[in-house]
Amino acid sequence: MIRVGNAREKTTGFALLFGLLLLAACVRVCLGPIAIDNQLALTFALPTESIAALRATSLLSAACVGAALGLSGLALQVLLRNPLASPFVLGVSSGAGFGVALVLALAYACALPAMTFGGEVGGAIVGALAALGLVAWFGRGRSGTHDTTTLVLCGVVLGSIFSAGTMLLEQVVPHGLRGDLLSWMSGRLPEVPDRFNLTVLALCTLSGVILLSARAAALDVSCLSDDEAQSSGVNLRTLRATLFLVGGVLAAVAVAYAGPIGFIGLIAPHFARRLVGASHRTLVIGSAIAGALLLVSADVIRQIIDVGTGRLPVGVLTALAGGPVFLWLLRSKRWLR
Amino acid sequence: MAPLIDARNLVLAYGATRAVDDLSLSCDAGSITAIVGPNGSGKSTLLRGLAGIMKPESGFVRVNGVDLATLTPLARARMLAFVPQRPDLSAPFTAREVVRLGRFSRKPDESRVDAALTAVGLLPRGDHAFDTLSGGERQRVALARAFAQSDDGGALLLDEPFSAIDPKEVARIIEALRRRAQGSAQSNPASGSSISCAPCAIVLSLHDPGLARAFATHAVLMREGRVLVAGPVARALTTATLSETYGHEMIEQPNWLAPRLT
Repeated sequence: MIRVGNAREKTTGFALLFGLLLLAACVRVCLGPIAIDNQLALTFALPTESIAALRATSLLSAACVGAALGLSGLALQVLLRNPLASPFVLGVSSGAGFGVALVLALAYACALPAMTFGGEVGGAIVGALAALGLVAWFGRGRSGTHDTTTLVLCGVVLGSIFSAGTMLLEQVVPHGLRGDLLSWMSGRLPEVPDRFNLTVLALCTLSGVILLSARAAALDVSCLSDDEAQSSGVNLRTLRATLFLVGGVLAAVAVAYAGPIGFIGLIAPHFARRLVGASHRTLVIGSAIAGALLLVSADVIRQIIDVGTGRLPVGVLTALAGGPVFLWLLRSKRWLR
Repeated sequence: MAPLIDARNLVLAYGATRAVDDLSLSCDAGSITAIVGPNGSGKSTLLRGLAGIMKPESGFVRVNGVDLATLTPLARARMLAFVPQRPDLSAPFTAREVVRLGRFSRKPDESRVDAALTAVGLLPRGDHAFDTLSGGERQRVALARAFAQSDDGGALLLDEPFSAIDPKEVARIIEALRRRAQGSAQSNPASGSSISCAPCAIVLSLHDPGLARAFATHAVLMREGRVLVAGPVARALTTATLSETYGHEMIEQPNWLAPRLT
C-alpha cells in the first residue's frame, strides 16, 4: 500500500527520483557506440565534447518525451478517475499517430512541400483529442463514471481502428515515406534530434507542468465523488477541460515527436505516487520526473542491447517492460473498480 | 430575520422527470431539519438542489439572502457543505488528507481538521488509508470533511449520514451536530484548545423517523417530490402524518431500541 505522508518521506522520494534520473542521464551520456577498426563497439567512457553534446541532446529528447507521457498519463487518470488510464491504453496515442499519418498522406496527395513538425503536431493533436473524446464518451457508464473494463475495452477497440487507419494510409504514400512511417509507428526517439522540434516539445511539457501544478489543490479535491468535489468549491467543468487538453495535447506532441511509445504514461504516475505521495502538489512534478527517468532508462537499455545500429525502437522495450506492469495493475484489484 | 436557507418554488428534474416539484422550504441558523420520506420521494435530489450541485428548472435557493445561482463554486462552498450518501475517493489519501480537502475553499487550518476528526471519533485513525476504512468510518470521514469546510455559519447538507454507522457513533455524531448547529465551541484534544464556530443550519435526510424525532428541531415530510408536512418536529412527525407520507400505518413503539443521546 502507498504510504507517503510526511514531508521527510516526500523529500526522500524526490531525492531518489532525481538521483536515479541523474544516474541514468550520466550513463546515457557516457554510454554509446564508438567506431573501432571500422566496427561499432559499445563503450562506457567520458565522450569528447562534440559527442557529449549530441548525446546530451538525445538525452534531453528522451527526458522530454518521457515527462510529457508521464504528465499525460496522470492527467488522464485524474480526468477519468481510473488508474489504468494512459494515452497508449486508451488509444489516444493511436489517434495521434493516425492524425500524423493523415496529414502526411494529405500532404503527399496534394503535392504539398515536405511537412513541417508543426503540421504533424497539428494532426496529432486533432487525432489525440478525437480519440480521447470518443473513448470518454463510449466508456462512460450510466452513473457517469468510467468503469475500468469498459474503458480499457473502448481504448483497445478505438486504438485498433486508428492503427488500422494508419496502416491503410501507409499504403497510399510512396515507398520511402512508408518506411519512415513504419519506423516512427514503432516508437523511436530521433537519433539526431531537431532542436526546434525539441524546443516545442520541451515548452509544451513545461506548460503542462505549470498548468497542472497551478490546479494541484483542485486535482486533489476532484478525487472525491463529483458531488463532494463540486460542493467543496471545485469547478469540475473547467478542471476537466484543462485535464482533457493537457492529457491530449501532451500525448499528441510526444507521439508526433517520437511515435507511439507505450506504457510510460501508465506507469510513471503509479511509480511517482509510491515515492512522492498521492497529493498532486508533489505528484505532478513527480510524474514528469518519473516519466523522464523511465524513458531515459529504457533508452540506456536500448543502447546496450542494440550496439550502435540504432534499429531497435525504444517503444519495443517500453512495451516489453510495461505490458507485464499493466497486467499486474489489472490484477491488483485494490485500485480497480 | 431572514432564514439562513430559503428555497422557493423549487423544481429539480432529471430529463422530463420532476424529482422535486414546486417545493418551498426555509431553515434558520441553529436548526436541524430532518427530511423524511419513502424511497424515491426526492430527498437526495432536494439536498443536491440546496447544495447548488443540481441547477433548478425553476425557483431559487437563497443562502443568507444570496441566490446560489449568482455564486461562484468557491463562494458557494464557503456557505454550504454537502455529504452524499456514498462518499467516494479515487486516490490513496489518508482519512486526515480527505478531511483536509474540506479546507479547499478556506485557509488551511490543521486545528480545525483535528477538531473535525475528533467530532466523528476518528482522530486516532487519521493516518489510516481511506480505502482501508469500513463503510461507516468512510461516512464519518466525509462528515468530518464537511465539518472542516463549514466553520463560520452557513449550512451542512447531509444525505443519509447514519446509514452505515453504529449506534454509539450515531450518538457521538448527533451530539457533534447539535453543537455545530448551535455554534458551540468544538474541542480539539490534539492541541488542548477549543475552536469557535458560528451557528449553522443543518438539513439531513433520514430513513428513521424515530431518530429524526429524537434530535431534529424541524421536519419536512416528502412524497413524490412534494412537501406533505413541514414544521417543528413535535407537530410534523406524528403517526398520522407519517402514515400518510409512507402510505403505511405507523405506530408508536415503546420497545424500539435506540442509542441514548446526551
